[in-house]
Amino acid sequence: MLKTQDLGYWYQDKTQPLFQGINLTFESGKSYAILGHSGTGKTTFLSLIAGLDKPKEGDILLGDQSLKQIGLTNYRRHDVAIVFQAYNLFAYMSPMNNLLTAMAITEAKHAGDRAYAKQILNDLGIGDDLIDRNVQHLSGGQQQRVAIARTMCCDARLVVADEPTGNLDEDNTKAVIDQFQRIAHEQNKCVIIVTHEPDVAAQCDHQYRLENKQFTELA
Amino acid sequence: MNFFKRAWLNIWAKKGRSILLILVSSAILMFVLAGLLIRSAAVKATETAKNDAGATMTLSANRQAAFKKMSQSSSSSSSKTSRPKLTLTPVKLSDATKIAKLSNIKNYNVTSSTSANAKSYDTVSTTTGMGGNSGGPGGMKSSTSSGDTQIDGVTATSLTTTFSDSQSKITKGRGITASDKNTNNVVIEKELASQNNLTVGDTMTFKETSGDKNTVKVKIVGIYKASSTSSASAGPMSTDPSNTIYASYTLANTIKGSKYAGTADSVTFNVTNPAKVSATKKAGNKLISSKYSLSTDDASYQSVKASMDNVEGFANKIVWLVAIAGTIILALIVILMIRERRFEIGVLLSLGEARWKIVAQFFTEMLMVIVVAIAIAGAGGKFVGNQLGSQLVSQSTTTQTTTSTTSGQPGGGQPGGTKGSGGPGNMQATSTKTKDPNLEIAVSAVDLAELGGFGLAITFLSIMIASGGILRLEPKKVLFS
Ligand SMILES: Nc1ncnc2c1ncn2[C@@H]1O[C@H](COP(=O)(O)OP(=O)(O)O)[C@@H](O)[C@H]1O
Ligand SMILES: [Mg+2]
Repeated sequence: MLKTQDLGYWYQDKTQPLFQGINLTFESGKSYAILGHSGTGKTTFLSLIAGLDKPKEGDILLGDQSLKQIGLTNYRRHDVAIVFQAYNLFAYMSPMNNLLTAMAITEAKHAGDRAYAKQILNDLGIGDDLIDRNVQHLSGGQQQRVAIARTMCCDARLVVADEPTGNLDEDNTKAVIDQFQRIAHEQNKCVIIVTHEPDVAAQCDHQYRLENKQFTELA
Repeated sequence: MNFFKRAWLNIWAKKGRSILLILVSSAILMFVLAGLLIRSAAVKATETAKNDAGATMTLSANRQAAFKKMSQSSSSSSSKTSRPKLTLTPVKLSDATKIAKLSNIKNYNVTSSTSANAKSYDTVSTTTGMGGNSGGPGGMKSSTSSGDTQIDGVTATSLTTTFSDSQSKITKGRGITASDKNTNNVVIEKELASQNNLTVGDTMTFKETSGDKNTVKVKIVGIYKASSTSSASAGPMSTDPSNTIYASYTLANTIKGSKYAGTADSVTFNVTNPAKVSATKKAGNKLISSKYSLSTDDASYQSVKASMDNVEGFANKIVWLVAIAGTIILALIVILMIRERRFEIGVLLSLGEARWKIVAQFFTEMLMVIVVAIAIAGAGGKFVGNQLGSQLVSQSTTTQTTTSTTSGQPGGGQPGGTKGSGGPGNMQATSTKTKDPNLEIAVSAVDLAELGGFGLAITFLSIMIASGGILRLEPKKVLFS
C-alpha cells in the first residue's frame, strides 16, 4: 500500500545523502522493522513516510497517489498514525480526552464515541481508574500504551513508530510490541517500527537494515 | 469545534498559569479602563462646564465707533472751540429683547449704573483713608456728576457674575429679581446696613446728583455681603464697595433722568452653549446698529474646556500607551507560552490539525482569560480611575487658575468712564477662579463595551504577533528530538 520510488534525502550536503535510490514496498496486514546504527537516518526516513517532511529526491506513493498529491496535512490526518519514543501525549488531558481529541482531528469513524475509546484503552490495560486522570500521572509504559491506543482508535491504515520501546523496561517492551503485532494482523494495518534493538525487530514480519545509504532486507 | 474544547481543557488543567494570565490581563485592562473612564468623564465635565462656567455676551455702546465719531467731528469742525465730547449711546432695551430671542440665549441681565448722594444714612468710609462722605471718587468716576453711593441697576442680582460666582452673597432677605422692575426695592451691603442700623424692611433715602436733585425713598429687601477680594480689586478711585446698592435697572434709569427710560449701560446675555458663542455674536450683530457692539466673554468656559481637553488628551494617551504596552506584554507571554507548548503543537500537526485551528485554540484560551479579566478590571477600574482622576484635576486646575488670573487683568483697565461698559461683575469674572471641574467617575455600559473592544483587540493582536511561532513550527524538529 505504501511505496517509495528512488527515494533520497540529505540535510545540507547533496553529495552526502543519508540514503538514496530507495525502492521499498510496505503492505497492509504486515509489520516492518527498520534497524540501523544511531545516526544512519532511520528517523529521517520515518519522518518522510509519516508526511512530516518532503523527500529531496524520488517519491512516496500511497496506493497510486503520491503524498504530494494527497497533501501532507491531509495525509497525516487520514492515512498515517505516529507513535513517538517520548509518547507525546497531550499533557493537559486524560487518556480518554487524548483519544477523543485525536479522533476528532482525524475525523475518525468513531469520533466522539467514548465507549469505543474506553474499550480500546481497557484492552491495552488502561483501567477505568486511569482513564479520566491526567496522563502525566501515568507511568511511561502506560503512557506509551495510551499513545498506541490513540493510533488504534483512528482510521489511519498506516502506523509508524520511532523507537517506541526506547524508554520502556522489558515487560512493557514486550506488551507494546505484541500490541503492534495485533494492529497489523487483527486491524489489517501496515505497521513500520524504527528500532535499534534486534530483539524488538525480530518480532516483526519483515526487517530492514539501513546501512551505507541503502536498505537491505534481513532474512 | 474541537479546538474550543482543547482550549477549555488546557485552561482548566493549568489553573495556576491561567490565574496568573488573568491577573496580568486584568492589570493591563484596568489601566485601559482607567484611561477610558477619565476620558469619558472629561467629556462629560466639558459638557457640564458649558452650563456651570458658561459664557456671556455683552451688548454695550460701541466705544470705538464713538471715539472715531468724536475725532471726526473735532477735525471737521475745528473752528469750534468746544472740546469734542465722547458720547456713548445708551443701549436700547428693545435691541436687547431682539437679541434675547436668539436660540442660544438662556437669559439676560440689564445693567444700568449711576450714583446718588446719601441722605438718610452715612456711607461707609474706606479704612485706607478715602473719605466716603467727602464727595466720593471725584471727577474721573463718571460722565455724569457722581455721588457717594453707587447704584447698580440690574434685572436680577442672581444673574450678575458677582453673585453667580459667589463673590457677593445675599445674607438676609432676598436679592433683586425681575419682579422688582419699576419698584424702589434695593439690596444693600452688610457693612452699610450695620453702620446705619438698617435691616430688611427698612426704608432709606438718597438724593439724585443731577437734574432736579430729587429725594428718592427706597425700601430694603435684602442685605448682601461683598467679598473682601472685591474691595481690594476695586481700585483707588472708587468708593468703598460697601456703598454699592443693588436695585432694579428701572430705578437706576429713573435716577439718571427721564431720557434714560428703556435704556441700559449694557445688557449681559447668558448663553446656553458657550461653544457656539461666536455664532450667536454674529447673529446678534445683525440685529443692532453700529453704535452698539457685542462683546463676548467665554474665558471661564475656555479655561475649564482647556483643562478638560488636557485631561482628555492625557487620558487618550494613557489608553493607547497601555493598550500598546499591554499588547506587547501579552504577545511576549503568548510567544513564551507557544514555545513551552511546541510539543503539543507538533503532535497536533502530526495528527493533521490545520494550523489556523491551532492559532484559534490559543486565541480561544486567551479569550477566556480576557473575559474574566474584563470583569475584574470593570470592578477595579472605577477605583483606579477615581484616584487618577482626582490627581489630574487638582493638577490641571492649579495651572489653569494661574493662567486665567494673569490673562484676565487687561480687561479691567477702564477705571474711568461710565461703569456700564462691562459692569462691575464682568471685569472681575475673568480674574476669578472658575469652579473646580469635578470628574465624575462612573463605569457605564459604554465604557465596558469599549473596554471589551480593547480587550479583544489586544488579545487578537498579541495572538497574531505570536502566531508566527505556530505557523513556522516544523513538527519534525520538535517531535524527534
Ligand atoms: N534537522 C537536521 N539538520 C541537520 N542534520 C540533521 C538534522 N536531523 C538529523 N540530522 C543528522 O542526520 C543524521 C541522521 O539522523 P537521524 O535520522 O535522526 O538518525 P537515526 O534516527 O538513525 O539515529 C544524523 O547525523 C543527524 O545528525
Ligand atoms: Mg532516531
